[in-house]
Parts: sequence; C-alpha cells; structure tokens
Amino acid sequence: MQWNKVIKEMFFLLGISIISALAVNFFSPSGIALVGKWDESLGGKATKTKGYVFSGELEIKDVRIAKQIYDSGKAVFVDARSHEDFERGHIKGAESLPLGQFDDLIGAFRKKYPTDTFIVTYCSGRTCNDSHRLEQLLFDHGYVNVSIFIDGYQGWKAEGFPIE
Amino acid sequence: MSAFLSTVIKAGKPRVSQLNKNIRNLFNNGWLEIALRWILGVTFIYASYYKIMSPMDFAKIIYGYNLFPAFLINLIAVIFPFIELISGLSLLLGIFPRSAALIINGLLLAFILILTINIIRGHEFDCGCFSASKTGSPVMMVARDVIYLMMGLQVFLFHGIRKGCLLRSDKRI
Repeated sequence: MQWNKVIKEMFFLLGISIISALAVNFFSPSGIALVGKWDESLGGKATKTKGYVFSGELEIKDVRIAKQIYDSGKAVFVDARSHEDFERGHIKGAESLPLGQFDDLIGAFRKKYPTDTFIVTYCSGRTCNDSHRLEQLLFDHGYVNVSIFIDGYQGWKAEGFPIE
Repeated sequence: MSAFLSTVIKAGKPRVSQLNKNIRNLFNNGWLEIALRWILGVTFIYASYYKIMSPMDFAKIIYGYNLFPAFLINLIAVIFPFIELISGLSLLLGIFPRSAALIINGLLLAFILILTINIIRGHEFDCGCFSASKTGSPVMMVARDVIYLMMGLQVFLFHGIRKGCLLRSDKRI
C-alpha cells in the first residue's frame, strides 16, 4: 500500500473540506461565528436537560405564556429583526433592536432600560435564531432578566395578538 | 495427549486454510467493495446534511458532550460536517477511495470514542448524529458505528481493482 500517496490524498480531501466549510459558513444565513461564547454556568444544565444548551431554561415555548407576560406589562418585548421587518409589523409596544446594529444601538438602549429590566426577545419564528443571539448579547451587556419568545412575530400574529 | 492434539490440528489445517481462503475471497470481492463504499458514502452525506443546514444546533449538541474546550466547539461544528460530506461524496464517486475510507474510519473511531466516554460517564445526551431528534441508547449507536467501521475497513484494506472509480492516482489504490 503506497502510504505516501494515501496520506497526500487524504490531506487534499481534508483541505477541500475545510475550505468549503469556511466558505459556506461565511456566506450562509445560518452560519455561525468561528469562536463562540459558551457560558459555563448556564451550560452546566445542558447535559441534564438532554440537548438544549444555555437558552433551554430561558425559552418561552408557549404563545399564551408570552401573552400573559405581555398583559402583565412587566416585560419589554425586543424585536431582533431588521428595521424593515419591524416597520412592516411588530408586537405592540416592542422595541426594535436589530441584531445587525446591536453595537450601534446598545448605548441608547442601555440608557433607556436598566439592566434588571425583564426583557423578552423575539424574531420571526422558531427557525430563526436571532432572538437567541440577541439574548446572549444582552446578557453580555449586563441584562440578567432576558427570556426568548421562540414562536416570534409569526406565532404572535397567528394568534391575533396585538401588533402595530 | 499431545500426539492426539497434533493429529487433530494437522487434519484441521486444510479446512482452516480453506476457510481463510473463502473469507479472503469474499473480502476482496469487487462487488462487495463498491456496495459497502456506496452505503458508507450515502450514510455520511445524509448525516452531514442536517449539520450543515443548522450549525448552531450542532454546536449546541457538541457543547452538550462536555468534551471539547469552548473555543474549539464552533470550529468543529463548522468544519466537521463538511469532512463528512466531502469524504462521503468521495467514497460514493470513487475519488481517492482509499484516502476517503481512511478519513471515514477515523471519524467513526472518533464517534465510538466519544460515545464510549459518555457512556462511562453516564451522561444523558443528544447524539446529534443524523438530526436533532432524540436517538436510541448510546450502546446501540456504538454498535452501529462498529459495524460501519468494519465496512470501512473492508473498503480501506481492499486489494483488488476497485470498480466505478472516478478519480484516483493509481489503479491499485
């Protein structure tokens, strides 16, 4: 068996894999950062809850619970989608904090809302992860009371809940 | 006693070597090789699909294994599925088949190792092998991977002329 050739070909295949992986990840809408922030304290629960990592405990999986929170008036709903999407329609009373402009807008947001504000992030729906990323960013900036409404705008609108 | 034993052994030798020869013939059967190569190739391409579609979910699963340092997790989540995809494709199309089989066997060994470590630890976890849904018991998965590994070894060690290969540097490779 010509090991030399085999090893060379193997590295060739691996090289192609790495290059295409990085390229696709860069251009794909569901691409992820090459180095991620994994919070140990929250992640410790992951192995016990079988699958979902840090946001498992923070997700609001039922639209009606989100509505109850909305009715209580205790939470600020924060929209992670773009300005255009926000303008077209958002949960009534929600704040727009597009993920793409987080760094620009966080200053103003910080001034308006103290870090113990109860926040509920959302984006378009369950297939969208922006709400999770927004929650992580808010957490990094000191907001300890953030939940994620995973059914998003679609789920809210489908129930006929207040939008504007 | 030893005379009896040596007679038995002498009588058995031609039978054993006949058995060896049969096994070897089966092992080097070209049709078996291409069949196993296709099975492995398709399996790995299929397995990579979900992971490429949602790398974040896969990253969360890797995090759940509790085996890798935090800074590596995302890199693994991005690159690993493509190694599966490219090697799977290479096996299927017959591009550098022996090298692709080597990679696949390496991946399978890694799976078996990871699963075994987590079985020993008694972790409950989500395998994330094919999709985000809950999978069967880890022991079943190890067994399945061992079978795949045996198939991979056949493809890797195959001595004959491979059928249906698209690109290789040597007919004997």
